[in-house]
Amino acid sequence: MELSDREILHVARLARLRLTADELQPLRQDLNRVLDYVSQLQRLDLDGVEPTLHAANDQAPLREDVEAASLSVAEATKNGPKVAQHMFLVPRIMEGGSDGE
Amino acid sequence: MASKPLWTYEAHTLHDLFCEGAVSAEEIVTSHLARIRAVDASVGAFLYVDEAGAVAEARRQDQWSAAERRERPLSGVPVAVKDNIVTQGMPTTAGSKILGEFVSPYDATVVVKLKQAGAVIIGKTNLDEFAMGSSTEHSALAETRNPWDLSRVPGGSSGGSAAAVAAQLVPLALGSDTGGSIRQPSSYCGIVGMKPTYGRVSRYGLIAFASSLDQIGPMARSIRDARLLYHVIQGADRHDSTALSSAGDRTVSGGPWRIGVPREYFGEGMDAGVRRLTEAALERLRGMGHALVEISLPHTSYAIATYYLIAPAEASSNLSRFDGVRYGMRAEGRDLLTMYEKTRDEGFGAEVKRRILLGTHALSAGYYDAYYLTAQKVRTLIRQDFDKAFQEVDFIVTPTTPDVAFRRGERDDDPIKMYLGDVYTVTANLAGIPGLSMPAGVADGLPVGLQWLAPGLADTALFDAAATLEPQMEPMVWPMGVEA
Amino acid sequence: MSQYQVIIGLEVHVELKTATKLFCGCSAAFGGDPNTHTCPVCLGMPGVLPVINQEAIRLAVRSALALNCTVRAVSKFDRKQYFYPDLPKAYQISQYDQPLGEYGWVTIRGADDAAKKIGVRRVHVEEDAGKLNHLGQRLGDATGSLVDLNRAGVPLIEIVSEPDLRSAEEARLYLTELRAVLSYLDVSDLRMEEGSMRCDANVSLRPEGFAGSLEDLPRVEIKNVNSIRNVQRGIEYEVIRQTELLAAGERIVKETRGFDDATGKTYSQRSKEEANDYRYFPEPDLPPLVLDPQWIADMKRGLPALPDAIRADLVGRGIPEKDAEVLVLDREAYEYWREATALFQDERLVTNWMLSDLSRLINARGESFANSGVRPEGLVELLGLIQAGTLSGRMAKEVLEAMFESGQTASQVVKDKGLSQITDAGAIQSIVDQVLHDNPAVVQDFLSGKEKALAFMVGQVMKQTRGQAKPDLVNQLLRDSIQKNYAASQD
Ligand SMILES: [Mg+2]
Ligand SMILES: [Zn+2]
Repeated sequence: MELSDREILHVARLARLRLTADELQPLRQDLNRVLDYVSQLQRLDLDGVEPTLHAANDQAPLREDVEAASLSVAEATKNGPKVAQHMFLVPRIMEGGSDGE
Repeated sequence: MASKPLWTYEAHTLHDLFCEGAVSAEEIVTSHLARIRAVDASVGAFLYVDEAGAVAEARRQDQWSAAERRERPLSGVPVAVKDNIVTQGMPTTAGSKILGEFVSPYDATVVVKLKQAGAVIIGKTNLDEFAMGSSTEHSALAETRNPWDLSRVPGGSSGGSAAAVAAQLVPLALGSDTGGSIRQPSSYCGIVGMKPTYGRVSRYGLIAFASSLDQIGPMARSIRDARLLYHVIQGADRHDSTALSSAGDRTVSGGPWRIGVPREYFGEGMDAGVRRLTEAALERLRGMGHALVEISLPHTSYAIATYYLIAPAEASSNLSRFDGVRYGMRAEGRDLLTMYEKTRDEGFGAEVKRRILLGTHALSAGYYDAYYLTAQKVRTLIRQDFDKAFQEVDFIVTPTTPDVAFRRGERDDDPIKMYLGDVYTVTANLAGIPGLSMPAGVADGLPVGLQWLAPGLADTALFDAAATLEPQMEPMVWPMGVEA
Repeated sequence: MSQYQVIIGLEVHVELKTATKLFCGCSAAFGGDPNTHTCPVCLGMPGVLPVINQEAIRLAVRSALALNCTVRAVSKFDRKQYFYPDLPKAYQISQYDQPLGEYGWVTIRGADDAAKKIGVRRVHVEEDAGKLNHLGQRLGDATGSLVDLNRAGVPLIEIVSEPDLRSAEEARLYLTELRAVLSYLDVSDLRMEEGSMRCDANVSLRPEGFAGSLEDLPRVEIKNVNSIRNVQRGIEYEVIRQTELLAAGERIVKETRGFDDATGKTYSQRSKEEANDYRYFPEPDLPPLVLDPQWIADMKRGLPALPDAIRADLVGRGIPEKDAEVLVLDREAYEYWREATALFQDERLVTNWMLSDLSRLINARGESFANSGVRPEGLVELLGLIQAGTLSGRMAKEVLEAMFESGQTASQVVKDKGLSQITDAGAIQSIVDQVLHDNPAVVQDFLSGKEKALAFMVGQVMKQTRGQAKPDLVNQLLRDSIQKNYAASQD
């Protein structure tokens, strides 16, 4: 299952990574090497084997519905790259994505 | 009064000296800070040293009565924290550019526990970006070198913590281990490092790499010190739904034990020095009256492939939050999508991007079953291998890594080769069991690690077992000459 | 036009009425200054982990059971991944392949009164997203957006219907019924204008004879409509739009559309040509959610009476179906009714007064049955005065209005205004005599068979008694007097 440039660019878009042309070539090579390596798992007979979906606890603890202290607005937003009116400012959202490309 | 410099002492000794009033916390801390100033320019273990904060905390502790000092098991003891564990008073970078100037508004649970135990947090140590790597060469921020040979890597991803402990910059450090990231650098740097049972230590405040595999653990120059730190940080946490309550520790008889030696861990590709020292250690165990039992963990050869699907898949999800909106760096763009893509493109390093892409692909429509789900099934088989083995044996002993610390730059080009170095350590993460690396000796000037594996929840028993072997080994002579 | 069958499925998101968010201890209250209900967890800070709020689970289980769902003893949480500034972790913790509840239904009744079961495919628990404030008139021309995460992490249930709805009217009935059921459970504020109940509608047209899976039909999703009425309008518009497109030989594009309240039209928001790939996978930070089957069973037994049962009960008591429907769909009205009828036997009288005069006053004042100034015991006192003959219906209306204005009881109003009804024949007889004397022509009309003439005379008597005379008594006295004093001379 070799990944094509097109597929890699699709995955990159899903992951919100912008790959430049010179990044793409070595990445394709690396990714395909790894995918080729992991394909050995397909050799195993996994019929009837349950996946390990949770590593430790077999039951989630439940929390009481009691309010705990929130952060102050200043603390909540102090790491914000751009903050206005105590909110995080983001650039305009284009319907359907970017107008950059 | 101490005759040797204070920075050469182990944590429990420093704590005792402080409790007795033989030395002040300030003396202990300034001694370590001086050592860091003298040595860390060449080792590069720390990303951030909080000199003022550490001295202030030491002075505060110097006001404590003897009883107050005793109450807190780490009072007077300097500790370093891997920089993927968040701290309120210091920056946290995860070794990445994308966190920018981030200062956490909260302390990780382990940091809260350290502070409650009286530890003096000295600073934050270097790591492979987001803990993705086995050499600490993938840090976006600094280079860390192996104190035994500065031309070599310290291992990774907790390479900064391992180098700091080995170079005696601190007696104790926290690391995190997702596929061997505590044990492998401990092995390369000749120290003790332990990955607890999954759930034994709260992950709250550990910047997630692969949530179902990550564990925080102790790193130290002796098993006694590592156990001391482990007992401070372990336990249930109401902020972590996967953290287990302290009850239910699994005990193991006082011995003699049946010690499993998995044949899959002694195959080809093992360094000759590693083989020699591992076999010597096994002989010592036999000499102590334990039975060595050859066992098989038949799915071992699938562990790396399994790991390199599960870990990137989870990582791709965990790292999505670094989007330039609420914290960290932002690369401006005229619209949202451009901002996202530029931020993440400039903020993440090549190895992180490689894993995000791999993980995103493994979870994407049409591939989930073939990759992620398949890997989680193989993971079940690997766990079952261990379940079966531990019906037969009390502990398993293996080399920690097939090799010794390699030269910097040596494995830059080949991801598979780099990943294969984790072959003996990833299985413990996949199975959720505890693993410990202790020094097995030095081969050609470089340390070799011996790995102990125990059944899940047998963490204390694991320390106890490894501690019986420690006095039988050649004492480590720590690399003092790193100032060069 | 009729060669297509309309296929509608609804996804309804309901915010649960908990004190705190689903995975952290921040307040889940609506509103608040921006980002004041936030903490590291709901800000999606590095290193944070979720811990489940048990009250959210309790309310979700209650809801699922009331919607006739099977509740799983073991369910699990998953991550649904997409990037958007209102979603701090860039994934929503939701439930994917093992939802809390499945295989339920809601019964609706159309104009023909035939009951129809609408399948509820699933009820699952998930966290809400934050709120974006766009700098500009609307998203399209905004220069940027401000992110407020107060709402991020508030617990939601998502209720997904089967594609069983066949018209905009059925969609309206389903939503109305669903809202009524949830209202009796006390699980949510259910305020669509505040977003605590939100609806997405999936609309597609099935050509006659189409035998394939409904999933294969090009489906349009109308997102985030803010009232039941607008869901109905949006669907109506969409059905026409799609029908016309098909008639013109064009193809329906699978897409997400918004609804414009002002024009009543839907508009394209996002084409789904490049389909969303949410990359669901099990949330590794949360072990399975395990519920005690006994607890689930107890919860089911402990459910309050729900609309279907209430409806049957009311109709069985002789309440007209139309009135019963009004009571059932407004939980506050029904509870008012229950309180009032517990104190007063004539349930039809209570119903009539509640749904006509009281309703009118409440609506005019923007109140509701829950906060109306006239409480059930006040209404019941008033009805008692009617029943005892102390007040005529007309007087009672006046008294009720005065009760609303002043907050006084019925008897206080009656006393202050001197309003009690005259029931003593002796007190009225002289007025009756006077009216007969003053209107000989009318009396003649009556005697010649014009019944209406009597009504005029009753009105005259009522006028002179300022409405306090008891009308049927006046009626009787007039007849008797005419009979005695005028009819005889005629013979
Ligand atoms: Mg949803
Ligand atoms: Zn919160």
